[in-house]
Amino acid sequence: MSGLEDIFHLLFTANLWQATLAAAVLLLLPALGGTISERSGVVNIAMEGMMLTGAFFAVVADLAFHNAWLATGVAVLAGALMATIHAVVSIQFRADQIVSGIAINIFAAGLTVFLANRIYGLQDVGHVGPTEGLPYIDIPGLDHIPFFGKVLFQQNVVVYMALVLLVLVHVVLFRTRLGLRIRAVGEHPQAADTAGINVYRIRYSAVITSGLLSGLAGAFLAIGISNTFVPNMTDGRGYIALAAMIFGKWTPFGAFIACLIFGLGQAIYDNNSIIHVSPYLLSTLPYILTLVVLAGLVGRATPPAADGLPYVPGSE
Amino acid sequence: MPFGSVVFAFAVGALIVGATGANPFSAYAGLLCGGLGIGCTQGENPALEISNTIVFAIPLITAGVAVALPFRAGLFNIGAEGQLLAGSIACTAIGIKFNTLPAPILLPMVLVGGMAAGALWAGIPGVLKATVGAHEVVTTIMLNYIAQWLLRFLIIGGPLQLGPGTSKSLPIGEGARLATLLPADNSLIIFGLPASVYRVHTGLLIALAAAALFAFLLWRTSFGYEIRAVGQSQKAARYAGVSVRRTIILTMVIAGAFSGLAGAVQIAGVDHNLTDKYFSDTTGFDAIAVALLGLGSAVGIVLAAVLFGALHAGGAIMQSDAGISSNLVLVLQALILFSIAANFVGAIRRGLPFGRAPAALPPELPPAAGLMTEAAAAPPEPT
Repeated sequence: MSGLEDIFHLLFTANLWQATLAAAVLLLLPALGGTISERSGVVNIAMEGMMLTGAFFAVVADLAFHNAWLATGVAVLAGALMATIHAVVSIQFRADQIVSGIAINIFAAGLTVFLANRIYGLQDVGHVGPTEGLPYIDIPGLDHIPFFGKVLFQQNVVVYMALVLLVLVHVVLFRTRLGLRIRAVGEHPQAADTAGINVYRIRYSAVITSGLLSGLAGAFLAIGISNTFVPNMTDGRGYIALAAMIFGKWTPFGAFIACLIFGLGQAIYDNNSIIHVSPYLLSTLPYILTLVVLAGLVGRATPPAADGLPYVPGSE
Repeated sequence: MPFGSVVFAFAVGALIVGATGANPFSAYAGLLCGGLGIGCTQGENPALEISNTIVFAIPLITAGVAVALPFRAGLFNIGAEGQLLAGSIACTAIGIKFNTLPAPILLPMVLVGGMAAGALWAGIPGVLKATVGAHEVVTTIMLNYIAQWLLRFLIIGGPLQLGPGTSKSLPIGEGARLATLLPADNSLIIFGLPASVYRVHTGLLIALAAAALFAFLLWRTSFGYEIRAVGQSQKAARYAGVSVRRTIILTMVIAGAFSGLAGAVQIAGVDHNLTDKYFSDTTGFDAIAVALLGLGSAVGIVLAAVLFGALHAGGAIMQSDAGISSNLVLVLQALILFSIAANFVGAIRRGLPFGRAPAALPPELPPAAGLMTEAAAAPPEPT
């Protein structure tokens, strides 16, 4: 079995783990967003669309301003704008949150290509120059540590940002008053309301935060990793992030572990030339693993109690 | 059908088109011509455009049923797409393997095979929901992607691939194909074109039968009563002696059979092989809009499917005639979904711009479609 031997060999290369971490971060950002949103009681299957919107506007802004940071800011805002639509429709109008999420994803898929054609004609959006992409930064002094230097300290700037955000989201959710409020609103909005917490404000903020994070992931994808926009370039990553959120049982670090597992799959997929499994079959793994988790074979995945239920003030 | 939601979507869509400096009227004129054959200016044949619309509507009817039926039981089947692909795959595999069999044997085989594959693909979420309470929205999303990647494997380097370097499958046998409604005869001229260019196929009759079966099942059988009872209240249904678990599993299995049939008919009636076009197929997602817009009634589903069929067929003409990307159709579809779900029209009618009245799903749908319902929090009791 030379295939197994090849994979075994691959597992000891720093390149593989460097790629794994980058792929994981691309999933981690929307997964963190989903975790925050669902902890507040708003189901969010719209990360795919928010990411795609972010990716598109990152490229548009980068081509217009030739500044990756400005482009990232625009992408983050674009993601937040999509999230605001989801928030208004599902919190204010109490629409079904799944229908709203599906609508966001379809809206993003259609709008990005429609706008691309309006702005650039019926052709590709085109490449962003490599110098205008989000930079890769080697952390001086640490980047030469054998193995770990390459894996942890020779990464895109977004990777470092995401790891900081991971810790931040964990601390906010579980160590601060704000986090307690978010979780209270997601578990028992009536009680939270009685205790003087503004349920709508918390839910709006949580959903919009998920848009900010997903927009950042979109920018990372479009002007950090690929330097171009192609239609539907997120290719289901927002849904894998959703899976990671569930896999991680609605906790930031749980989601991160899931993202690392899925990211490893992606990295092996990208190194496909030396292994002999169909990359397409390999791509089903994140989804199958999530089904296994949902089937209760690896402990129960229990969502926040009020997840998906619109809050009607004064209701029991 | 909530026409107000459609009007709302077109109005907002026109604003979006106008905001980008294009003319919304010429965009919609293209849609109208391509969808319904009305007001064509570039010499398009109206009969051919209507024929194309019906071809698009056929799978939407059957898949729409596959979403509408579980809705009645309080289940949200986002997995119609994966179930449809499973049906297409099974139909193709059987149609290739037994390609020498005559139509009276092979055609039922590929259609039933497609239904079985779809039923299996929906049965897994059904069983998981009924036994451990795993939410069907999440499990069906996962199975959508598993089906999609499986399809890529099968026709790129896998056992169904036509040949090295291609991304399509071998064609199915002649006996596995559904006939077109009009004879494939070049000498017969209908509405100024040879009959063979009209692609409307006998799958239309299958789709209409599926819609009729849906109405019969739901309103004229005791199982339909059980579905509706579970959708209204699982607790009440249980007290009335309905096995909630059995109803959930069976509803999903039947819904999957409908989706699988839609996928099989698409192969047998239109494409005759799997191609990379199926990677970006959205029929199963369009079906959600069809089911919501059709308010879960058979007639409504057929009308909504024709509307979305017309939008898809019209998108191509809009792009070629008016130079507006056919992706505008997706924007309109999303706006229709937003509008139905949030009941914008009702809010506007009540003069309340920020929708204070509780109005979530259309009134005829059960309220249990939210992501984490009572069944997810606690699995149904064994009965």
